[in-house]
Amino acid sequence: MSESSTGNSEVYKQVVTVISKVLGIAQDVIKPESNFVNDLGADSLDRVTLVMALEDAFKRQIPEEDLDQLTTVDSTVTYIEKHLLAKSQP
Amino acid sequence: MSRRVVITGLGAFTSIGTTVEEFWRGCLNGSTSVADIPSKWNDFHHYSSRVWSPLPSLRNNSRIVNDIERTKLDTAAVLAMETAAEALHNAGLPPSLVDAKRNAYTLAEVDSARTGVFLGTGVGGLNSLLSNAAHHMLSLQQQRLQELAKLLASPEKNEQGLQIVERIASDILIPFRTNPFVVSMIMPNAVSSNIAIKFGIHGPAQTSCSACSSGTVAIGNAFQALRGGGIDMAIAGGVEYLCDEYGMVFRGFDVAKTLVSQGKQPFSHDQLNRPFDRDRSGFLFSQGGCGIMVLEDLEHARKRNANIICEIAAYSETCDGYNIMMMQPNGQQITRMLTQLLQSAGCAGQDVDYVNAHGTGTLLNDATEAEIIEHLFGKKVLVNSTKSLLGHAIGASGALGALVTALSIRHNTTHACKNLQNPVRDLNFVRSVGNHSIRTAVTQSFAFGGHNAALLLKAVA
Repeated sequence: MSESSTGNSEVYKQVVTVISKVLGIAQDVIKPESNFVNDLGADSLDRVTLVMALEDAFKRQIPEEDLDQLTTVDSTVTYIEKHLLAKSQP
Repeated sequence: MSRRVVITGLGAFTSIGTTVEEFWRGCLNGSTSVADIPSKWNDFHHYSSRVWSPLPSLRNNSRIVNDIERTKLDTAAVLAMETAAEALHNAGLPPSLVDAKRNAYTLAEVDSARTGVFLGTGVGGLNSLLSNAAHHMLSLQQQRLQELAKLLASPEKNEQGLQIVERIASDILIPFRTNPFVVSMIMPNAVSSNIAIKFGIHGPAQTSCSACSSGTVAIGNAFQALRGGGIDMAIAGGVEYLCDEYGMVFRGFDVAKTLVSQGKQPFSHDQLNRPFDRDRSGFLFSQGGCGIMVLEDLEHARKRNANIICEIAAYSETCDGYNIMMMQPNGQQITRMLTQLLQSAGCAGQDVDYVNAHGTGTLLNDATEAEIIEHLFGKKVLVNSTKSLLGHAIGASGALGALVTALSIRHNTTHACKNLQNPVRDLNFVRSVGNHSIRTAVTQSFAFGGHNAALLLKAVA
């Protein structure tokens, strides 16, 4: 397993919970480096569903053009911390 | 001889009950659910009608659709799937999970290729269409108004302009996003296809779209498919969900003067909805609902020792071909339909014990329908209107009427016609719940567009 700076954060835990629900898989098979398509079996509609579920979980919109930035668990956590949570700071 | 079709399972989600048991108990108790229309709707228009019949929370009554699926479905489809699940349980066919990722189920001991889905709906996923269209059209305008509000707030404050702009911005009610699944949410056939997907059904999956008779037509189509021998089992019924943020659909019916309104009589909210009464003023707008039946070929049902509720003996439909929003005042095509129905079942009008009437509470419908009932069935036949309890659930109403008809045969009793004090005609309207021998019954629906449909149900000998 690769070392991940995000592997233990609250955001990471929330993201794993959402992925598990959307893809119907156990949380323990989801790793920081997991690629949604290659490792977790997501198809294109699953990825769109995942984005909606993340929007609902973090109560922030993710622009359609940013979808390509969300390919792995790690990249998703980084995106959320950088683009969604940073915006919500006062 | 053609095959016989029986009802072996029922499911219901209505304003007075979220299971078929609760719904039937509510019917016999004369329950109704009438409330002020959502206050937000009043921000957009002053309506003649001020009340509606809201549904209980669907989220608190979920059996089979999870939160992730809900983000991709219109509420009409969710209602249809949840109610179908109840009907299947009720028929002794509990679905079992086969695919956790898709949350998909299968029906053991059922040949999925010889099972069909037949659902009726007036407007399908209209609610999703309206909310997504609002987001598409207005999200940018709302953002611009919010920017304008900032400009008006400083440095030289324009209080009046600021208030106007802030009010406009806050009145724009839009969802969080334009849903990427919007196309599959709004298409009317989604109510049938989602049931087929949920339960792994591979026979015909059809959607009937004929306004207020949609549910009756759907059950009729299932009956004909079963009789024809192409399938052995069907999930059939009707569903509707009418609740947009702006009250637009309500306004459409209100502006057409079809809804209940406060007339000269000092009626309370619960008394405004008065099918077949001389003081009726229109129908009670319902948030919607769903009624589903499991239908089977009689031999198929007997082979699996199913609990047979009653038989569907005949179906008939006609079209007025007269007016898009008004029934033909002489009811010529309704009379022709019911005559065909009786002939098809080998019955005379006097053989019918009970008529579950369309009974909307509009002036023209009730006068015309009562006259036809007397002419064809006589004065002794029991008559009630389930809309006197539920209001008008449009595409679900015919299916819910058919459910009540089946339950009335099963239990040899039926519900009273609520709020009926001065009948429009001297018929045997059900005024209180009692024991009746109900062996043969008719349920009928008429619709915007002139679509007339009726089913004849019988106790199984």
